[in-house]
Amino acid sequence: MPSSDEPLIDDCHAAFMQRGVSIGVAACSRDAVPTLARATGCRVRADRLQLTVFVSATQASPVLECIRDNGTIAVVFSEPSTHRTVQIKGRDARVTGLSESDLQLVAGYRSAFARELAPLGYDEILVRTLLSLPSADIVGISFTPAEAYSQSPGPNAGQPLARKA
Amino acid sequence: MTIKLDAIRECFEGIVPGTMATASPDGTPNLAYLSQVQFVDSEHVALSYQFFNKTRQNIMANPRATLLLTHPVTVAQYRLTLQYLHTETSGPLFETMKAKLAGIASHTGMSGVFRLLGSDVYRVLDIQKLSGESLPPPAPARNMLAALRASGERLAACADLDRLLAELLACLEQQFGISHAMVLMLDEPGARLYTVASIGYAASGAGSEIPLGQGVIGVAARERTPIRIGHMAAEYSYSRAVREAAEHSEWAGALETAIPLPGLPSPRSQLAVPITAGQRLLGVLYVESPQDLRFTYDDEDALVSLSILLGMAMDALQCAAATSPEESAASPDAPPRQEGAPILVRHFPENDSVFLGDDYLIKGVAGSVLWMLLRDYADKGRTEFTNRELRLDARVRLPDVSDNLEARLILLGKRLVDRQAPVRIEKTGRGRFRLCVYRPLRLQAG
Repeated sequence: MPSSDEPLIDDCHAAFMQRGVSIGVAACSRDAVPTLARATGCRVRADRLQLTVFVSATQASPVLECIRDNGTIAVVFSEPSTHRTVQIKGRDARVTGLSESDLQLVAGYRSAFARELAPLGYDEILVRTLLSLPSADIVGISFTPAEAYSQSPGPNAGQPLARKA
Repeated sequence: MTIKLDAIRECFEGIVPGTMATASPDGTPNLAYLSQVQFVDSEHVALSYQFFNKTRQNIMANPRATLLLTHPVTVAQYRLTLQYLHTETSGPLFETMKAKLAGIASHTGMSGVFRLLGSDVYRVLDIQKLSGESLPPPAPARNMLAALRASGERLAACADLDRLLAELLACLEQQFGISHAMVLMLDEPGARLYTVASIGYAASGAGSEIPLGQGVIGVAARERTPIRIGHMAAEYSYSRAVREAAEHSEWAGALETAIPLPGLPSPRSQLAVPITAGQRLLGVLYVESPQDLRFTYDDEDALVSLSILLGMAMDALQCAAATSPEESAASPDAPPRQEGAPILVRHFPENDSVFLGDDYLIKGVAGSVLWMLLRDYADKGRTEFTNRELRLDARVRLPDVSDNLEARLILLGKRLVDRQAPVRIEKTGRGRFRLCVYRPLRLQAG
């Protein structure tokens, strides 16, 4: 277990998570039924001890319900062009509101994700429509990373994430 | 469940990768990307099990899972609640998914990484469409039901196998926009399929063979299940199947007697559908395209339905051919004038292969038929024959009464044309044909 002042994720991973990568959020009800939703951007706090991912409150309502109940969360970041995939888990997730800068981040993410997918043959209109959400519908989910795994496809998926000093 | 599983099958094609949430018994969620979602029926899907990872551990301990799928055209999102039932490690579903996974792996640079260990079958408990913006679905390129109906009517009107095959290929092109296709028939004792008709290739490939279990076509036949691949899969290509067949052949001369398969050098979409009559496998209908993801679940459904009609029509025509009397003989035309020096025709009884000069012509049942015709021509001057006498003649080693002699004759006829042989067979009426010899022959056994 890393101590609370030693971030689990290094700068390189933090940068990766804040790029135009695909983001999914999973949570679990008290009776162990999992649920999930797509996220639309991620903010890593400067000390890398806190992550916030943004979701549509209506699309993610079962996820938010579970998080409000028990705070467990799993978030996967995956880069379509490289299949590089990282999973972060936490136990203290809470639902938060958005600042003006968060809304800018969400808008920036939408463009970055469209740019990432364009060379793979996905039309920009697809990505923009997929991530087109009214500002009032977006909420944040903040948590402290407690576990981090590399999940790039292959037999080594699931290994703890290596940290660079 | 108000949304039907079969109405959202396009979400399974992996164009927008789906994700899956599972949970350990202590309630820790896990999220994973899906390689493959397979539609099983209106209540079940199967997911590929490739590695013993966290998802697998969770599912074994807690069978509940939730999927998030995105429609590739409208981008509508669906959340599917699932219950794990069981894992299949062999059989039609497993082989279908294994072939498809090979295509996916090759497309995503994961060949050698992705290997199917099992097909995990889940019951779909609920489907929810998520709120959010979506794009209007485009008008479909064609109405599959209308295409199927028109094709069915045309197939039902065919009075012989030759016509049936020609109509089928014409329907594929005209009604379904499919320009590369072939029909292969089963040679049961040889455990192989032989090409009897094709469209869209430089050479007809009549007589080319695929062993059961080799490539997309061979696996579809062995498992009696449609195999549909949306991306090129090197390990399922039939150039390789042919090479392997040649390597394993018991005849030393196999390479010289192998007829090249027709086919695109690198098909990006492939669909092989078994043709059956009841429980009996008759052959395989194979279509392909240079375009990725050309064939959808709807194409698969349509061609499976068409193959059911085709199988029933083939069976009915075969029964009719075996029982109904042949038409009375037409008065024979004057035999064709023969030109040129005599050509040596050799027959090797171990595999019934026939060579014209040094050129391999044909083997197997069709080779045995040709040799019998040529012997009767040489010994008795006969040129008029009936299918019935061939069926009864002990010299023609028909493997089984159920063997489709008409298909063998079509193959023989096409092969003689393909090789520009100085011998042809011409249909002269129902159940009858004529041998036409355009050059003096010298027959040699062995």
